[in-house]
Amino acid sequence: MSRATWRGLAGGLVLLALWEGVVRGLGIAPWILPPPSGILATTWTVRGALLDAGAMTLFEATAGYGIGAVLGIALAMLLALATPLRKLVLPMVVAVNSVPVAAYAPLALLWFGTGALSKIIMVAFIVGFTVFLNTLDGLLRVDPAAVALLRSFGAGRLGVLWRLRVPSALPAMLVGLRVSTVRSMIVAIVTEMLGSQKGLGWTIFEAVLQIDFLRVWAAILVASLISLGFFAAVGALERRVVFWR
Amino acid sequence: MRWLRASGLAALARAALPLLLLAALWEAAVALLHISPFYLPPLRQVLGAMLALWPAYQEAFLVTLGEAVVGFLAGALVGIASACAFHHARWLRDMLFPLFVASQTVPVIAFGAIVVLWFGNTLLAKAAIAFYLTFFPVTVNALAGIEAVDPRQVALLRSFGASRRDIWWKLLLPSALPRIFTALRLSAGLALAGAIVGEWFGASIGVGAMLLAALFNEQVVAMWAAILAAAGVGGTIFAAVALLEGRLVFWRDEL
Repeated sequence: MSRATWRGLAGGLVLLALWEGVVRGLGIAPWILPPPSGILATTWTVRGALLDAGAMTLFEATAGYGIGAVLGIALAMLLALATPLRKLVLPMVVAVNSVPVAAYAPLALLWFGTGALSKIIMVAFIVGFTVFLNTLDGLLRVDPAAVALLRSFGAGRLGVLWRLRVPSALPAMLVGLRVSTVRSMIVAIVTEMLGSQKGLGWTIFEAVLQIDFLRVWAAILVASLISLGFFAAVGALERRVVFWR
Repeated sequence: MRWLRASGLAALARAALPLLLLAALWEAAVALLHISPFYLPPLRQVLGAMLALWPAYQEAFLVTLGEAVVGFLAGALVGIASACAFHHARWLRDMLFPLFVASQTVPVIAFGAIVVLWFGNTLLAKAAIAFYLTFFPVTVNALAGIEAVDPRQVALLRSFGASRRDIWWKLLLPSALPRIFTALRLSAGLALAGAIVGEWFGASIGVGAMLLAALFNEQVVAMWAAILAAAGVGGTIFAAVALLEGRLVFWRDEL
């Protein structure tokens, strides 16, 4: 392993040791800040329930992620082709996007109920925006000389899109896809906290009501691990697709 | 100065036009497509509801703005300071940067309850969440901006006897400013999201508290009014950042 990896591991271990030491040394009550060992122990005790909840949240996040990614990329390509439409639509998209997505969560719950649908739609919404803005930025940021060259060889708008814009937009698009993984989990959890009967967000909400803060921390741990796994999976895919980076 | 004012007016017009368009589209769509008020009430009705309770909306606006701005400023300062520290001490960067990355996979929202437990139901609790969402993008962009500086420029300054401090204030920070502002514009929305969600854990005043109250009472009009108030807060922070950017990164248009 490289030196940076070792140092990273050391940093993590130092943080955990400090955390454990401070909590034990100062005798901090577990409901204020539990030690890492306590969080791990609780996670293990309630692992069955946490896994069920995690699976539900991951399902909502990935379903919404898939829908949002496809819609975002499709809309970006459409608007890259149709310049007048873009000038009209883009400012409105930016205006709608200027409100944090969390603010729309109550509306989604009211419209689509407290089941999985409202979470999937919320996730699709945030992922769609993120992927759309990144992809469009990539599609438009090509060398005008390259466009002129392709046009001079008789390429149409579609030809330029497919042969030049899409390949050169791939890196920006994949950054959007990667950032969206973590956001999709967060949005699924936020929407679950506001209204649901399942999932990690609901687990956290319920544990807060029962003043069971160890279970809150355990749920946060599981949520972070799932996010990290999702992020790593999309990152690995990115390295395979954009092999020339 | 006249060109400045003229360009300021033009910028204002450019910003206002899409908003007016969106408002017109909203009204027209509701009227023409017969959209049920359950989904989208007419804009008139939403604005009417806001005017009827104007002091309450004004208070919520100011409270949420305060929470978001405090967290945003703290996040910006810590982000820039971390980038500076990471640039000068490679080992610190190797040790802490992975933790910074990992911190961003933690659903901060889940921390809401814990943060409120720590700080009580104060401005600080919401500002802490806003801070958590803000500092990372600023760190990443500031670091990228500093690292992009040509080492030969640093060497040149040093050969003229510039101290570390001179190099930081006269070369590294100004060079990184455009990228820092890119992150700040992004973070404006994140800080607001942190403040709004932070208010969901028992706050009684603020845009987030209003959203929650509207959800419990199933009042779609109040919900849209709160969304507009949130847009107002976000727009205010964003405009302030853009204004500051225009002042500080005055050379950007020349690039």
